[in-house]
Amino acid sequence: VEVQPGVTMRFRFCGDLDCPDWVLAEISTLAKISSVKMKLLCVQVMKELLGDGIDYEKIAKLTADAKFETSDIKATIAVLNFVLASAGKYGVDGESLSSELQQLGLPKEHATALCKSYEEKQTALQDRLKESSLRLNKLDSVSWRVDYTLSSSELKEVNEPVVHLKINVRNVDTGDVEPMVVSVTANKFRVLLAELKQAQTLMNALN
Amino acid sequence: MVQISRHLEEEITVCLMNHFCGSVIGEFCRIAVEFLKKGLNPKIFEGAARKLSVSTETVQHGIEGLMYLLTESSKMMISEVDFQDSVLVLGFPEDLNKLLLQLYLDNRKEIRSILNELAPDFPHYHNLEWRLDVQLASRALRQQIKPLLTLKLHLEQNGRRNANVLQTDPATLLHLIRKLEQALGEMKTNHCRRIVRNIK
Repeated sequence: VEVQPGVTMRFRFCGDLDCPDWVLAEISTLAKISSVKMKLLCVQVMKELLGDGIDYEKIAKLTADAKFETSDIKATIAVLNFVLASAGKYGVDGESLSSELQQLGLPKEHATALCKSYEEKQTALQDRLKESSLRLNKLDSVSWRVDYTLSSSELKEVNEPVVHLKINVRNVDTGDVEPMVVSVTANKFRVLLAELKQAQTLMNALN
Repeated sequence: MVQISRHLEEEITVCLMNHFCGSVIGEFCRIAVEFLKKGLNPKIFEGAARKLSVSTETVQHGIEGLMYLLTESSKMMISEVDFQDSVLVLGFPEDLNKLLLQLYLDNRKEIRSILNELAPDFPHYHNLEWRLDVQLASRALRQQIKPLLTLKLHLEQNGRRNANVLQTDPATLLHLIRKLEQALGEMKTNHCRRIVRNIK
């Protein structure tokens, strides 16, 4: 199937939308390097997507032959990044991805190499994407202490147990752990525990 | 025309004319442009002053004078003719005038983009994360089905980032989208088109 000008084609790896113009343009840049080199570039980009960092020197070496300018190198990384991340996002399988990329003009060898790279790491990629989905601040840890209050400035004989809870919250933006300290009386604590157990039952039912 | 203040005129003239030959002034021009792009480096004044056997102040005034000439000219985007007229006032030799003009023309685009960044900054869009959830139960009520969209809008101002967490239901979200599309659609009205045409 050829891409006709003026006809909008829907691509699964773009979320059933049109392929962005810039991606279309950069696919022709990808064809300029050998499919072997492209596979090695994919490996680097995939490393970055999985959070292992990217080795720019390796990339510079791989693209040196094709006489890529800095802007070409950036464009190549950007398009590989988009294709791999987007395919992962929409859960596209390797074969469909390969076929869609070939429809966009990527040579068969290159498409096959790219999709092999994608398939190898598809599960890991999707796990990583799930992890980095929007989360509000996370519970890091909880520590507690039970005290027995003997006496206070208000009342001579108190004789009551009290729970001190320290809830450590991890701020998703800064990565810092912020402690939150609460004291809970026995009765209140019983209510808290009962409610949390009910929530846990509901969660288990869904898992 | 760039109104070069009397004081500045004296500084530039004194420093450049009386002390230095063309190649030194050329070097000063290069340093002035470097400073505009990367910021002042006072050590360069001292180094140059020592090499030329003049006071640090002389070198400093000369270079700062050049920087001022370039920023004011770039700021107002004056034409070649106006620039030449302004510089003529200083009574420099013809080849120095040519050098200054070339310096202005070569660098004004970049200087203007640097000046552009000095305007006050409002919080602007950096990133938007979202998540679609379904609320099934709360402490007060079980057996619910309530779709919720959680948004985290990342904004940036003066290099500092902050994030706003918002939550909405699908109806409000659709309303929001409609309003934003209407705002974008304004650009296509005749009124806006007329104005945009005139600005270009």
